[in-house]
Amino acid sequence: MIPQLRAEVLKVRSTRTTLGLVLGMAALILLFVILTALLTSVNEMGQRDQQRDLYSIGSFAGLFAALAGIMLVTGEYRYGTIRPTYLFTPKRSTVLVAKVAASLVAGLVFALIGEILSVGVGGVILNERSISIALTHHDYWLLTIGTLIGTALWGGIGVGVGMIVRNQVGAIIGILAWGFVIQNLLFGLAPTVGRWTPDSAQNGMMGMTDSHLLDPGPGAVVLVGWTIAICIAGAVMAARRDVS
Amino acid sequence: MPPAVRAESLTKRYGTLTAVDDLSFALEPGTITGFLGPNGAGKTTTLRMLLGLARPTHGEALIFERPYAEIEQPALRIGAVLEATDFHPGRSGRNHLRTLAAAAGLPDSRVDEVLRTVELAGAANRRVKGYSLGMRQRLGLAAALLGDPELLVLDEPANGLDPEGVRWLRDFLRSFAGSGHTVLVSSHVLAEVAQTVDHVLIISRGKLVRESRLDELTAGIGGAVRVRSPQADRLREALEREGIEVADASGALYARGTTSERVGEIAAASGVVLHELRVEQSSLEEVFLELTAEKQE
Ligand SMILES: Nc1ncnc2c1ncn2[C@@H]1O[C@H](COP(=O)(O)OP(=O)(O)O)[C@@H](O)[C@H]1O
Ligand SMILES: [Mg+2]
Repeated sequence: MIPQLRAEVLKVRSTRTTLGLVLGMAALILLFVILTALLTSVNEMGQRDQQRDLYSIGSFAGLFAALAGIMLVTGEYRYGTIRPTYLFTPKRSTVLVAKVAASLVAGLVFALIGEILSVGVGGVILNERSISIALTHHDYWLLTIGTLIGTALWGGIGVGVGMIVRNQVGAIIGILAWGFVIQNLLFGLAPTVGRWTPDSAQNGMMGMTDSHLLDPGPGAVVLVGWTIAICIAGAVMAARRDVS
Repeated sequence: MPPAVRAESLTKRYGTLTAVDDLSFALEPGTITGFLGPNGAGKTTTLRMLLGLARPTHGEALIFERPYAEIEQPALRIGAVLEATDFHPGRSGRNHLRTLAAAAGLPDSRVDEVLRTVELAGAANRRVKGYSLGMRQRLGLAAALLGDPELLVLDEPANGLDPEGVRWLRDFLRSFAGSGHTVLVSSHVLAEVAQTVDHVLIISRGKLVRESRLDELTAGIGGAVRVRSPQADRLREALEREGIEVADASGALYARGTTSERVGEIAAASGVVLHELRVEQSSLEEVFLELTAEKQE
């Protein structure tokens, strides 16, 4: 298990894919943080909910962690390295667990960068505009823990999705369509169903205050549940399907 | 000694297509076997099943008498290359090998050793994107050699290699097998491996058509006596009168099922002048084509 984890961490580190994702993530988070912090009126920006929204922009890291997880699996199918990978480690569940573990670690790093950018840069801009912080320690704690754990879990979800879909373009389009369209529609149109999605569960976990969201504790449990379910589905598929 | 590789009624169906059809064979340790058959014969599918990548529809695919997936640390006993192109283009050759070495618990120093073995040390830190096909083939081989295996399984390793690359591979496989190791190497061209292998396993349409030593295959080849004469018509009549089957091609006669002595005697008895008289072995390639063609009908 430890050898395979070392192998997967090395795979994450040894191409430019990861760096590209980190840069893309940083650019997106910075853009949204700066626009939100600068363009919202002083009055509004002084409110606790508005500040929570600003600082939660760092949780965009989850999408990029999921993409990293997807790439770690689908890249192997795309370039055929899945063959040597399985020749060296024929127990496919071991490979999957190692990939999930590596993606959890990568997710934590993504989340840290995301948090530093949103809270750091956001905080600096609020300070410049002489807006005092209305968030409590508890709010900060939920936001930070929710972003770190949530983003890490998204890395694992990405691995599971990659194992199920295998096709790189298909998996990427799928996760983008889900994150930007489907789950928003679901939560907007049918919040009693929509709050059970991984995305809404993470929002609940971070202490976001939309009345339909789950509480932080249940939110965390639901997100962990999704991650485990998707990874088990991926493991079952990986064990059953031939590698051509 | 138990066989290094064994297939037992191995069968793989894709829908209605039977890619591998009730295939049984066993390879002795220490042999180099050519796994031969035309494109689409089922070679790659068989190797995939042996290496645990594809699941047999039925039958057994065993390496060292166990399914591949049940072998502890398989990379330390078996090295395999199925495709020459299994690399992430943006990763360096050395890092590709380091990921595999890590999975097998091998040190990076082993990576540098195999890079030297395949003569890639100079390009090791370049991204695979810039490698030629020959370099990729050697990088794949380096990955297979990481664990210092006793069995090598290579699928069409000579594909796309230039003559120098083919020679390099041949020398390499010979020295590998020279130290008592086992090799299974597939090809759709017998000539590519004829100078390397000592056994052949020929399949066509998923079925085994021949399993033998290479020298037995060569010995079993029916030769013909090639003879040239300015009085070819008279010679032909004389030979046919003796019940010998004669064909003519490119200005020479080919007498089948006889010896050069007998042809010489008949020619002398009929007073025919000979310009050439020799036994010609039909080439291995012709035999191979014959064996696999029969099956295709
Ligand atoms: N994954 C697959 N799905 C469907 N048919 C396949 C698959 N893999 C191989 N085949 C078919 O099985 C037959 C044998 O293929 P293959 O083992 O690749 O032959 P070879 O390696 O001898 O050229 C071919 O007809 C091929 O099209
Ligand atoms: Mg093939």
